[in-house]
Amino acid sequence: MPARRLPAFRSLRARVIVWVSVTLTVLFAITIVGLDLAFRRSTDEAQRQLLEVQLFGLIALAETDEADELTLPNDEIDAQFQVPGSGLYGVLLDADGRPVWQSRSLLGASFPVGESLPGPGEQRYSRVDPPDLPPVETFMMAVTWEFADGHAAPYTFGIASSLEPLMTRQAAFRRNLIGWFAGITIAMLALIGSLLGWVLRPLRRLERQVREVDAGERVALTGEFPSELEPLAASLNALIDTERRRLVRYRNTLDDLAHSLKTPLAVMRTLLSELAAKEADAPSATALDALNREIDRMEQRVSYQLRRARVSGATGLGVEPVQVAPVLEDLRLGLDKVYRDKGVACELAVAPGTVFQGDPGDLTEVLGNLVDNAYKYCRHRVRVTASSGGGKLSIVVADDGRGIEPDDVTKLLERGTRADESVPGHGIGLAVVRDIVELYGGTLAIERSVLGGAAVLVEFTRARAAGQGGAVPPPSSRA
Amino acid sequence: MRLLLVEDDQTLSRSLAAQLQRAGYQVDCAADGREGLYFAREYSIDLAIIDLGLPGLSGVELIKTIRAEGKSYPILVLTARDRWQDKVEALKLGADDYVVKPVHVEELLARVDALLRRAGGWAQSELVCGPVRLDTRTQIVTVDGRKLDLTSFEYRLLEYLMLHAGEVLSKAQISEALYNEDFERDSNVIEVFIGRLRRKLDPNGEYKPIETLRGRGYRFALPRGSAANA
Repeated sequence: MPARRLPAFRSLRARVIVWVSVTLTVLFAITIVGLDLAFRRSTDEAQRQLLEVQLFGLIALAETDEADELTLPNDEIDAQFQVPGSGLYGVLLDADGRPVWQSRSLLGASFPVGESLPGPGEQRYSRVDPPDLPPVETFMMAVTWEFADGHAAPYTFGIASSLEPLMTRQAAFRRNLIGWFAGITIAMLALIGSLLGWVLRPLRRLERQVREVDAGERVALTGEFPSELEPLAASLNALIDTERRRLVRYRNTLDDLAHSLKTPLAVMRTLLSELAAKEADAPSATALDALNREIDRMEQRVSYQLRRARVSGATGLGVEPVQVAPVLEDLRLGLDKVYRDKGVACELAVAPGTVFQGDPGDLTEVLGNLVDNAYKYCRHRVRVTASSGGGKLSIVVADDGRGIEPDDVTKLLERGTRADESVPGHGIGLAVVRDIVELYGGTLAIERSVLGGAAVLVEFTRARAAGQGGAVPPPSSRA
Repeated sequence: MRLLLVEDDQTLSRSLAAQLQRAGYQVDCAADGREGLYFAREYSIDLAIIDLGLPGLSGVELIKTIRAEGKSYPILVLTARDRWQDKVEALKLGADDYVVKPVHVEELLARVDALLRRAGGWAQSELVCGPVRLDTRTQIVTVDGRKLDLTSFEYRLLEYLMLHAGEVLSKAQISEALYNEDFERDSNVIEVFIGRLRRKLDPNGEYKPIETLRGRGYRFALPRGSAANA
């Protein structure tokens, strides 16, 4: 199919325009040829009839002269025969083909007889392009003239009319014809173009809405669509809904899984600690310690993998942009409670209208881990700044703690490392943040904050469709 | 100190309760949200430990209801879900802290201890009222720097009184906080222990740390903080 190859045919509008143009051109070409032919025939016919009338006019005027020869009286015949170069010429030939009379309009030129004279009683039309005259149409008639004295002699009457006026008329007709049809074609294409605009408008609206859904600016396709598109819109909405439900179901399953894996771990751990309290002797205490460490490791793995798996990491169809400020405020409210004894002063500087294009759970996870770490490792101050614009969301979480060792920063941000195992303390939280940022195709960097401690810089970019599962670009860390 | 533990896993619940009891707390165990709500309404509780993934009434609903009914004791969330959205929601609805399963018992005890202190208006783990210093972590009590030798019950009684320093505590309140529910409430055991504690804290009768308010109960009378009295 050429439709696959030519990019022009990927547009419905182009398809219709091309189809209509080609069809109209062919159709109109046939019409033009047909009409032109018909017009030419009828004008040719009219011309011949005129020639005939004029020839019979000449025959009617023919008379015998003193030399008993047939001739035509110049002062009685039509004025057109008298004016040189008028385009109407007459001739009277004797049996030998010698002109006994020719019209003054010929002005010395010879009458374009053509190849041969018509036989007795014959009439002949022909078109001739003589060297000394413009192209003409001739009509010749051989007659046998009976004189008054009773003898008869063969003569040939000939008449020629210039083809120029005829051809001019026919060319003008053709030009008019082509002009009109070209006009009609253009008008029709314009009409079809506007018709297409009208017909395709709902399709464009649909396309725009789908794009908005994908960009997270819209939750579902809304408004009325033409009956042909209604099923498509409904299916798309159903798909969006299914996708959202699927995500919810998936997360619920993960939650259940977390619950069902961690509760037994919790049971084991509390039982172990009960045992440890009872068994004071050294060998079992060592064994219990070892068991406890294994539980710790299992717990870390389970926790990390489940949290990783829960990251939606993408648009997810039909997700609205998330306001960043309320998420941070709730987080501060909660963490202020948890770290009440520490008396942390947490300052939020969120530019108005700062939004995150993605899943609210992912945003809360990123901010939760970063701000919790900041509360945990700060002395007394935490500052979170966030702003979005130009399809970018930048978040900086800074504290006045000891900061993160450059070696640890490198380890934490190194691609492919198991961050959950690389740095204890910041470990899991930052590892999860790194995973989420990676999935969104964003960047993560750790620097020293102006407050004195660590500053974690996260940047999400909107254009992430191709960034799915992408890498964290090299951080601009001072480490 | 009376704790409410709402946890649907029976083994975990029993084991946690045993260890909390060993640490000196009275523990009421509820196996689901509805039972938890019943206990939360009916009993005088100092702190609730609530699992979020409960059958019946969810943990989140339970916390919401408890707070809506005006109960202000601290709530510690115990959860297998370590999603920040869940944590933030629980904290927003009225929980005071959270621990993620599988929890270390020591960590749980530390959190419980901290929450109880805070609820009593204490910011530090050491409670200081004039010459009396009680360290909730080491459970060491000193008066004017002299270390006291207290029994487990005496310690818990003193801790309870000091946590609520300045407040009037009825005998019933004290016995509910320190004994299992099946204990006979109006016995004079409390009186006996108060008497012993007074002798140990203030053998010379110079501080009078514990006031008796006739028909109303007791009050730890020494002002909080050391500066005022030192």
